[in-house]
Amino acid sequence: MTEGVQIPDAILAVIEQTVNGYIRLDPEGATAFAALDGRIIGIELAGFGTRITIIPSAQRLQIFGDYDATPDCLIRGTPLGLLRMNMAEHKESQVMRGEVEISGDTALAQSFSRALAGLEIDWEEQLARIIGDPFAHQVGNQARAVSQWGRKTSTTLTSDLQEYLQEEARLLPSRVEVEAVLNQIDILRDDIERTEARIERLTRQLARHRPHP
Amino acid sequence: MSDEKITHFGYQQVPVEEKASRVRAVFDSVASRYDLMNDLMSLGIHRLWKRHTIELSGVRHGQRVLDLASGTGDLAERFAGIVGPGGEVIMSDINAAMLREGRERMINRGRVGNLHYVLINAEQIPFPADHFDCVTIGFGLRNVTHKQRALEEMQRVLRPGGRALILEFSHPLSKPLSKAYDLYSFSVLPTLGRLVVNDPESYRYLAESIRMHPDQETLRAMMETAGFERCDYYNHSGGIVAIHRGFKL
Repeated sequence: MTEGVQIPDAILAVIEQTVNGYIRLDPEGATAFAALDGRIIGIELAGFGTRITIIPSAQRLQIFGDYDATPDCLIRGTPLGLLRMNMAEHKESQVMRGEVEISGDTALAQSFSRALAGLEIDWEEQLARIIGDPFAHQVGNQARAVSQWGRKTSTTLTSDLQEYLQEEARLLPSRVEVEAVLNQIDILRDDIERTEARIERLTRQLARHRPHP
Repeated sequence: MSDEKITHFGYQQVPVEEKASRVRAVFDSVASRYDLMNDLMSLGIHRLWKRHTIELSGVRHGQRVLDLASGTGDLAERFAGIVGPGGEVIMSDINAAMLREGRERMINRGRVGNLHYVLINAEQIPFPADHFDCVTIGFGLRNVTHKQRALEEMQRVLRPGGRALILEFSHPLSKPLSKAYDLYSFSVLPTLGRLVVNDPESYRYLAESIRMHPDQETLRAMMETAGFERCDYYNHSGGIVAIHRGFKL
């Protein structure tokens, strides 16, 4: 048995049920797990010694604590590192930085992550099962309208806030001002480098012309 | 067993040849509501005991597993999801009604392909030696007439390196818990049995058979006698249930 803080079986059972409930909502996406049938994926939280084992099969995942077999692939990282990797677009960057360590079959970790990311739930379809197609479609239209309004409002708000902070309150510089400052910094850095090279050249010349004792 | 021709059936003494048929009658009676009763009796905790059994099994993709006394197949279903299409799980029971219930349930859940069903008496397992990577028996060993013979058979059909797991009711570790458990077993259980399956006698038998089952250390010694090595056990719920594990090396 591995030492460390282990998640109680009861909590793992609830997590397993919740995850499988989610997967069931996208039967097409869930078929991606069939290719990973029976492979053992271990996840270890560094610093805590917490071990979670995931065994995918067609249509569902089995989630255990410390499964008594060597995993085909072990993903080890700090909770923050794992979270960042999960949210990052380029997952390899967390591995490159050393925050997450993957040992064993790395392709398996990639396939599993792709299968999870590939789940897409058609909420309208799920709703239709309960309240019927016509009503679900109407609710779907309303939801889409609300979501579109939300996106538009959020864009307008962001742009208004940006304008206020940059133009009215003058608390933040505008993009043009920032770029100008950055350009000046670049020019200054180049000038310093040139001066440095010149001093070095002059020092060498001086040393050459100095009479030997 | 003091007399070779007499064995226990709960607290009663019955002829050896009669025990199997009486156990069969008990499970014929409860088969249709077996899952519901398990949930009521253990308050759903039996799922956690079974989860730990699976964790300890360490079964992998492509392996062959024999699940004895499968009942409605809680263990077998999980194994089928782990061994994948390249592996094989034999779901078995001595009771045809229970096995039929289990098979129905598996088919209804779409669990097909790597699951096979065999009516098996654990004392005479109809498979060659060195055949399985893992053999399990969940809440079944206490109903077997000759437990030692069943353990020997489990050891025989295991491949070297394979492991056997026995999930079974056992003996509570503390006296107060033992008293509360007795009260529950002999008052609440038969009442539940009467309400849910209209058969208090079957559930009285379950409570009695648990008391007659060997305790943790005795069962471990029996496993060692049967040829298992590195035997250990894990108590659950204060010893009400224990998972015994042994390897064939």
